[in-house]
Amino acid sequence: MANLAKKSKKNPKQIAFTRFMLIVAFFVLWIGGIGARLVHLQINQHEDLRGKALNQRRDKFTEKQLRGTIYDRDDHPLAMSVKVKSLVADPSEIENIDSTAKQIAKVLNVKPELILKPLKEGKERNKRFVFLARKLDESAVKNINDAFETADLKKNDLPKFAGLHWREEQKRTYTQGANLGSVIGFSNAEDVGSAGIEQSQETHLHGAIIKTWRDRDRYGRVYDEEEVEREEPKDVVLTISRSIQYKVEQALAKGVKASNAKSGIAIAMNPKTGEILAMANYPSFDPNRYNEFPQETYTNRAVQSMYAPGSVFKIIAFGGALNEGLIQSNGEINCGSGVIKMNGRNDIVDKHCHQTITYTDALAVSSNYATIKTAQLLGNERFFDYSQRFGFGTTTGIELPAEARGTVHSPKNWNSDSLASMSIGYEVNVTALQAISAYSAIANNGVRVTPHLIKEIRQDGKVISTTEAESNTVMTVETAKSLRRMLEKVVQSGTAKRAKLNGFTSAGKTGTAWKYSETLKKYDENKYVSSFIGFAPAENPEIVIAVVVDEPQGGARDGGQVSAPIFREIAESVLPELNVKPDANIKNETASDEEIPTETEATTVKTDKKAVGNKKTEVKKEEKESSTQKPKETATQKPKIETKNKSSGK
Amino acid sequence: MSRKKLSTSKNTQKVKREGDPIPWRYCLLTLVCGLILVGGFFFAARQHFSSIDYGIKNSQLKKQKDELETAQRQLLLAKEYALSPASIKKVAKEFGFTEVAASVESLYTDTKKTTEKPKVEKKSDTKTPDKNPAVVSQKDEKKNDKKIAETSDSKNKKGV
Repeated sequence: MANLAKKSKKNPKQIAFTRFMLIVAFFVLWIGGIGARLVHLQINQHEDLRGKALNQRRDKFTEKQLRGTIYDRDDHPLAMSVKVKSLVADPSEIENIDSTAKQIAKVLNVKPELILKPLKEGKERNKRFVFLARKLDESAVKNINDAFETADLKKNDLPKFAGLHWREEQKRTYTQGANLGSVIGFSNAEDVGSAGIEQSQETHLHGAIIKTWRDRDRYGRVYDEEEVEREEPKDVVLTISRSIQYKVEQALAKGVKASNAKSGIAIAMNPKTGEILAMANYPSFDPNRYNEFPQETYTNRAVQSMYAPGSVFKIIAFGGALNEGLIQSNGEINCGSGVIKMNGRNDIVDKHCHQTITYTDALAVSSNYATIKTAQLLGNERFFDYSQRFGFGTTTGIELPAEARGTVHSPKNWNSDSLASMSIGYEVNVTALQAISAYSAIANNGVRVTPHLIKEIRQDGKVISTTEAESNTVMTVETAKSLRRMLEKVVQSGTAKRAKLNGFTSAGKTGTAWKYSETLKKYDENKYVSSFIGFAPAENPEIVIAVVVDEPQGGARDGGQVSAPIFREIAESVLPELNVKPDANIKNETASDEEIPTETEATTVKTDKKAVGNKKTEVKKEEKESSTQKPKETATQKPKIETKNKSSGK
Repeated sequence: MSRKKLSTSKNTQKVKREGDPIPWRYCLLTLVCGLILVGGFFFAARQHFSSIDYGIKNSQLKKQKDELETAQRQLLLAKEYALSPASIKKVAKEFGFTEVAASVESLYTDTKKTTEKPKVEKKSDTKTPDKNPAVVSQKDEKKNDKKIAETSDSKNKKGV
């Protein structure tokens, strides 16, 4: 009985305790279960869940940077990209395609079909991205945003219209328009350089991709971002001066139109540094609207087109012979009968030179006889060597795409007439850039500096590289001086009187050559390339200018009458800009047409049928006379060149 | 054996044990700790939402900065267009200016004009009696002044 009483006394407490422990155990299990779950989530599934959370709030944003800017030498931007917006549509977000298309077309001021068709196609193909209008300016963007404002629509981005979004793109703008078009080139719709500097400097200019991680809230607003990768594009500074370029373009256009020519090239260069101050082609194209111009205009003829230089090439013979000490500038050459027997088949008769004449006068009147004889003194190997030294037959390395190397055959491929032909500028092909580079050697005391267009490359405003031009010695200083004096005589009393400048001395050489016709397989006597390459001032040149006019029509066609005036106009407008002091009398009068001899130096050269390399060329040797000169010309009368085709054997 | 009857009255007084007061200190301490903990949670939450808020403002400002930079580039572009020789020529034509061919004379003779002083020609047309050249009558002075004025006027008209 006592035990029972004791038990009954103990039971309530124990029961209570037991119940309490049960509750505790329950809570322990519950909390333990929660804890275990937490441990499982936080530790076991940590990476997986973290990834999911990041995916929800974080996205990787890639953006293309603006393409690098191209500047002129005075830091004026010539080509620049700006951010623009393109209107894109997500057809899946648009309920009523027809009415939306009409609304969009009305705002964009285009035909509704242009909007309806891509939207419908996009809807059918479940496309989420359709371009409606590309690269719009700020005012157009604002108009569209205002027009499509939908008040009650909850949308994070503009325009506030279901299914419409803006996409950032960039638009390339060329500040000089058609000026410099063929030099700068253009970049296409994908912002990839496709011509000119834009193409050759693509690696520097291309807008690199920026990669950024962005955290967004549930409304899509960005609250945190982290840049992962960024590479700044580089800016390119050219040696071109936009004001000089403009003057050169204007003068060239005027000259080409005046002579009814097919096209023209003009280059202005600093002979001491090799910097190209201007490079013009006519006709050219406007890179802002490149697809409106024919593709032929994209060609930079100054570096890509080759032509037979004609008498401009005579500096090789005279320069080489002077440098080798074979002749003196005031030395005389006896032309005898003025006939050069060439392999007994094609003789050259030079009526200009049927007497004793100095080499200076011979160059002034562009005597073919004297040139050929001088070249023969030099010999094949040395002539070829000097042509290479002057830079012909190889690329200059200028920073433009598709530069032509020109054609100067090796002596082992020459036939018996080749030296004669080449000495007067036939059987060779050169580019205008090679020609100006050669003359710059004469202007620069015998040192030829490699022409270049790029002054420096910058990144973030800092200069990271500067062009250091290479140079090579072509001739001695004395030879260069002698040649300059000889070339000055060409302007003073020779074929290039129209290159005389007001206030400055000038020197140079004309060239007039028949063009080789691929269809006719011979030189076409109706088509000329007229050129003049000169420098000013004559004694200490600050600028070299090359002018090449392709196929002048009607009237005068020789270099002295077609190209020399363009040289004059360019030089007279550019030299003061370069702060060059006048070194000659300033005259009010300009040389009239009557005072200037109109002389055509064009000759077509006929060679025998021996193959030159693998190529058979037939070139006809003929003379052409154009005579409007008055009797009281210079002391050295304008000689007439006649060639007679004699039968073989003589 | 008799059992002692236990009192069945429920007069159980609350027994006050010594040394067993209400632990106000511990309660207070617990309360304070709890408040700190809760306060800390609120503070952390506030920091968190503030940082998100600043992050959103920051990205909006970045966007604004990008837009301003874009506008600046566009203005620079417009400026370069306006300053290009072709545009200047076009605007000049609209204002009625005509293009004059560049001539070296005009650039260099102008400087000569400003540097040269007008030369005064002294012409003695009238026969003057032998006089002490240092002594010049007033009449002669006036005549000379008139002549000087006339010659300078005629030169200005010629544009020398």
